[in-house]
Amino acid sequence: MQITRRGLGLGVAGGAAALGLARPAIAQNEPIRFGWLASMTGPSSAPAIGFDRGVRFAAEAINAAGGVKGRRFEVITRDSQGEPTKAVNATQELISQSRVHAIWGPTNSGESLAVTAIMARAKMPNIHPCVVDSLIDPNRYPNAFRVAPSNGQWDDAVRRYATDVLKARKVAVFGDNTGYGVTAAKASSDAFKRENVEVVQLSNIDATQPDMTPDMLRARNAGAQAIVVWTVSTGMLARMLNTRAQMGWDVPFVGHPALSAGDIGGLLEKPENWRNVFCVGYRSCSYDSTGKLPARSQELVDRLQGKVNLNDSLLWWVACGVDAVNLVAKAVEATGSTASEAIIGHWNSLRKFPGYYGEYSFTPTQHNGYPGEDVVMSAANTGRNGAFALAPGYG
Amino acid sequence: MLASILASGLAMGAIYALIGITYNTMFATSRVMSFTAGQLGMLGGVLGSLFMLRWGLPPVLALPLTLAAAALFGVVTEFVAVRPVLKSLEQHLYVLSTLAVALLVQQVVAIEWSTEPQPFPRLLGIGSGVWDEKYWLPVAACAATVLGLEYLYRRTLVGRAFVAVAEDNYAARALGLPERNLRIASYALAGAVGALAGFAGGQLLLAFVANGPLLNFYGFIPVALGGLGNNRGAVIGGLALGLFQQAANFLAGGIFASVAVFSLFIVVLLAAPQGLFGAPAARRV
Amino acid sequence: MPTVAEALTPAAAPARPSVLPSLLPFLGILGLAALLPLSGNEYWAMIGTRAAIYWVLVSGLNLVVGYAGQLAIGWVALLALGAYTASVLAAGNLGGAPWPAFLATAAAGLVGAAAGVVVGSPALRLRTFYFAMTTLGFATIVTQVALAWQDVTGGGIGLPGPAFPAPFDTAWGFYYLCLGLAALCTWMAGNAARSRFGRALVAVRDAEVAAEANGISKPRLLVTVFVFAGATAGVAGSLFAGLQTYITPEAFSFDLSLLFFISILIGGRGSILGPLLGTVILTLLPEIAAPLAAWSTALYAALLLLIVLAIPGGIAALLDFRNRRPLESNRAIATRPALLGALLPEERRRGEGLALRGIVLAFGGVRAIDGLDIDVHPGEVHGLIGPNGSGKTTTLNVISGYYRPQQGTLALGGAPLPAGAPTLRAAHGIARTFQTPRVVGEESVLDNVMLGGTVEGRAGFAEALLALPRQRREERAMRERALAALRVVGLESLAEARADRLQHSELRFVEIARALALRPAFLLLDEPAAGLSTEEIRRLGALIRAIARQGTAVLLVEHHADLIFDICDRVTVLNLGRVLAAGTPAEIRSHKEVVSAYLGG
Repeated sequence: MQITRRGLGLGVAGGAAALGLARPAIAQNEPIRFGWLASMTGPSSAPAIGFDRGVRFAAEAINAAGGVKGRRFEVITRDSQGEPTKAVNATQELISQSRVHAIWGPTNSGESLAVTAIMARAKMPNIHPCVVDSLIDPNRYPNAFRVAPSNGQWDDAVRRYATDVLKARKVAVFGDNTGYGVTAAKASSDAFKRENVEVVQLSNIDATQPDMTPDMLRARNAGAQAIVVWTVSTGMLARMLNTRAQMGWDVPFVGHPALSAGDIGGLLEKPENWRNVFCVGYRSCSYDSTGKLPARSQELVDRLQGKVNLNDSLLWWVACGVDAVNLVAKAVEATGSTASEAIIGHWNSLRKFPGYYGEYSFTPTQHNGYPGEDVVMSAANTGRNGAFALAPGYG
Repeated sequence: MLASILASGLAMGAIYALIGITYNTMFATSRVMSFTAGQLGMLGGVLGSLFMLRWGLPPVLALPLTLAAAALFGVVTEFVAVRPVLKSLEQHLYVLSTLAVALLVQQVVAIEWSTEPQPFPRLLGIGSGVWDEKYWLPVAACAATVLGLEYLYRRTLVGRAFVAVAEDNYAARALGLPERNLRIASYALAGAVGALAGFAGGQLLLAFVANGPLLNFYGFIPVALGGLGNNRGAVIGGLALGLFQQAANFLAGGIFASVAVFSLFIVVLLAAPQGLFGAPAARRV
Repeated sequence: MPTVAEALTPAAAPARPSVLPSLLPFLGILGLAALLPLSGNEYWAMIGTRAAIYWVLVSGLNLVVGYAGQLAIGWVALLALGAYTASVLAAGNLGGAPWPAFLATAAAGLVGAAAGVVVGSPALRLRTFYFAMTTLGFATIVTQVALAWQDVTGGGIGLPGPAFPAPFDTAWGFYYLCLGLAALCTWMAGNAARSRFGRALVAVRDAEVAAEANGISKPRLLVTVFVFAGATAGVAGSLFAGLQTYITPEAFSFDLSLLFFISILIGGRGSILGPLLGTVILTLLPEIAAPLAAWSTALYAALLLLIVLAIPGGIAALLDFRNRRPLESNRAIATRPALLGALLPEERRRGEGLALRGIVLAFGGVRAIDGLDIDVHPGEVHGLIGPNGSGKTTTLNVISGYYRPQQGTLALGGAPLPAGAPTLRAAHGIARTFQTPRVVGEESVLDNVMLGGTVEGRAGFAEALLALPRQRREERAMRERALAALRVVGLESLAEARADRLQHSELRFVEIARALALRPAFLLLDEPAAGLSTEEIRRLGALIRAIARQGTAVLLVEHHADLIFDICDRVTVLNLGRVLAAGTPAEIRSHKEVVSAYLGG
């Protein structure tokens, strides 16, 4: 269906504009169009694939229950392949051609930075899970809402764990050499320094470097008591963990959620290389000391049972995808409208919206909706059904 | 620290050198620089991992199977992307045709395999530390390949025919050498050499789709440094590149290491346009 | 042979082709593009703007890749540089007040022009694929520096692109701005391509030796187009940053660089229209394939392969209807020496004689020329004969400057002529032909002949870009002169045909016409009669005589003894790089050693 509409291309575009005039009359029955900017192929596509499972599950659930006030919930996916230029095109396409009512995504920062201003210009209601702090600015981008922690929140959690729980006074900070890795490592290092923790090494490593021994040796010789890592490259993380084991060094790793990615398990020389590794996690997607998930999360896992595979993904990705759909659906249900002002206005009034991934609260001046206290640290090697055990030190 | 930089530098250098030899082998009989060289290295890792970890074959079976599959891919490349554009080499259409094939294989692997690096098993279980097999296997593979090729080119009839075609295509054809068959054979051989690089270096590079473009690039540098068509030059250039890159990674860090590598590459090329071991350009008039 | 009167009738000269037919496709595209807002859809504004911006870059790069044949595969480096320059200046990140967007764009163009020379200069030394890789190296360096220089470029977080003022601050306003710049660039690139610079670029690509003989200096020419290609890329970068609204190093990917490069190759070499269509198609294609999500790249690659295999000449070859018309089959070369007077008027500089003294040139241990003295006088045909390997062509190459002799001197009218330096020969009025005709097969016969007039062009590249009056005047004169030269050799009816469609014998006369277009004081002919029929040789002989009568000194290397003895005023016989005998044809004919060694009794 989408293929024919796009395939006809330019010739149809004029006709579509003419039809647009007739839109208001049928607006009450037309489907809710939910734009989904996913980086489903290309590098670091794992999160988008996880989010996508949640999005499809939630949309099907809504439609199976008769839609939102009788309106079908239609998901329109565009694969941006991790490239900012493609993301820009896809965003404009969703806005102007597919005329979606809200956009979920993009799922990585490079793309999100490129499209945020474009969505703001179109006043397009937008929710995304990208961590870069500057993406959320209610003055410049009153349409953009974040349903995940900001990088600052991740950074706080990691730093607090390193200093308060692990009692590290000297840390080595590593990032990869992508835009994200360079920025995140620098920000993390600066924050440690502000709290008078000595940063004995700040390095950006080429993620394809086959051997991490020299960098790890340098960190050990400098007396690092914890290694802080910011990268999404599972290959690089696995190599670092293997190197740590070969060196016979038991320094703890703390950092990016990718430390717990299932792919790492396969790349480790021994399973125990994954011990003493702590990554950013979420209270909603963590097992407590008795091995239980929070009740509401358990309810979702039960509903997903047999429909969505959680083993090769993360629960929070799937849960967040479900929440994204529900945030749009509930806004339309509450206001009875798909107008952008209505949706944005509704989101601005949300107090503790009960999502599966978190309870979101927004105000007109605060669009970072994820509760900071729900950002926790997980033990990276405890993955089961895409969720993790809380790291030691979290009750 | 120095030992580990040396070990990984030589290992990566050997892999780059093998990809350089892959370029050379394809170039010798066709005058085409094929963008598939790096993809062959990537395929060596991915196919090896597929055969050993997913299908459970032992390395003794997986290696020949990997090399055979890559050789087949080499032959397909020759048929699809090289032969049709040989008539108009000066138009550089081979850049597009081989690039298209490279993109196709990369995309298929990305979708059917994974976009994330996948594990590659230990093959022999010999050595640890800087003497771990993952460091010396690529070096051994590189040495074996160079010796094998020398034997082939010097001692066998087919090998001599290769050399004849490489040196003067027209004359070789005039002598009645089966130039077309030799070209197909050289693409098969290049496929096997490239895949061997990926297989031997699998434990270092992992079975990762992004290795394709990476090896394409770093595998070309030994060719440029060592002189086009000069395998011994490629080995020296490859090892030098590997050592320099790993040292730069450590000394300059990940951001500036590639800047250092490329700056040096450009400077060396400008100083010695034919490469350090290349022949000077032929007379034009 | 036609009489002078016949030849001078206007009917004999092809009417000057109207430029309109070749302009129509461009006007059509521009018209369609101007109507795009009728779609009423800002998505199409975005795609249209993107295509226009990419074309601004490609229009310049096309001269480098499509015309000069340099594989600049990493030109995205200049797009990135332009984008960052404009964005940084517009944001005021270098200190000082933020610059207005248009001023920042101009600065991006200047920075791009300078960087174009830096990124392009390895092409002066390196072979094709090597150069390709160095451009990729630059692309990596630019993005890595952008990543590292966080205070200015924002590092991995990036920075906003320049915001263009009203009326260009809306999607369609910006679209029209980019469309206007794209049209301007098309016009400029077209002007350059149809000027002596464009012809010289193609000659450097396909017939480098002939280009040098016609006074074309490859380094200077390439640097000039690198400046232009860098400037358009810099401006494109600023617009790109404006369109993206925000730039990070990741936006300048290898894929984007490939898009530019591939657009040109599938568009076809030596064409403006082809790469323009290529750019538009490649910008649109991923959008049309977008719903196929994961497989869109694979589809794109498959299509690319299909295009290369099915239409190797590119879109331009597909659209080249004129050269699909069959040429007249039984055509004869009807030379008209009588028309030489119009081409080589008496008042042009009179040659003063070329003297070679004691020339020694050895390749390795072999002395190809071993102490050679020759004098070539104005108004004379000087024959140079000898067995194979006796040094005839080598002597021509020494005079043309391709070889630098180890000993001996060259003098022109008493003044020394520097050895080597082939590109300086044309300015001295020395023209030549080659044993194997070196013409640009993909260009028209007329363009090939006009190459001969290159050295007399005074208008600079900027004048050519803007088609200023002096440039237009010169171009007209060159064209008239080339047509006159074609009339002399009797090929004017083939002026518009692509040169590679001509027969071998015709190409020999095309080369002579090209040499005549230089209005040479010295004409060096290297076996011009090889492969010609008896009748053609007779006409050639008459033509050479006539050329000499106009005051040109002709040095003729030939194996056809009859032709030599028929038309030469003086003959030198070479053997093993030395003069075996020299004198009038009658003297040579009776020279004992020559008769026994060469003429075979």
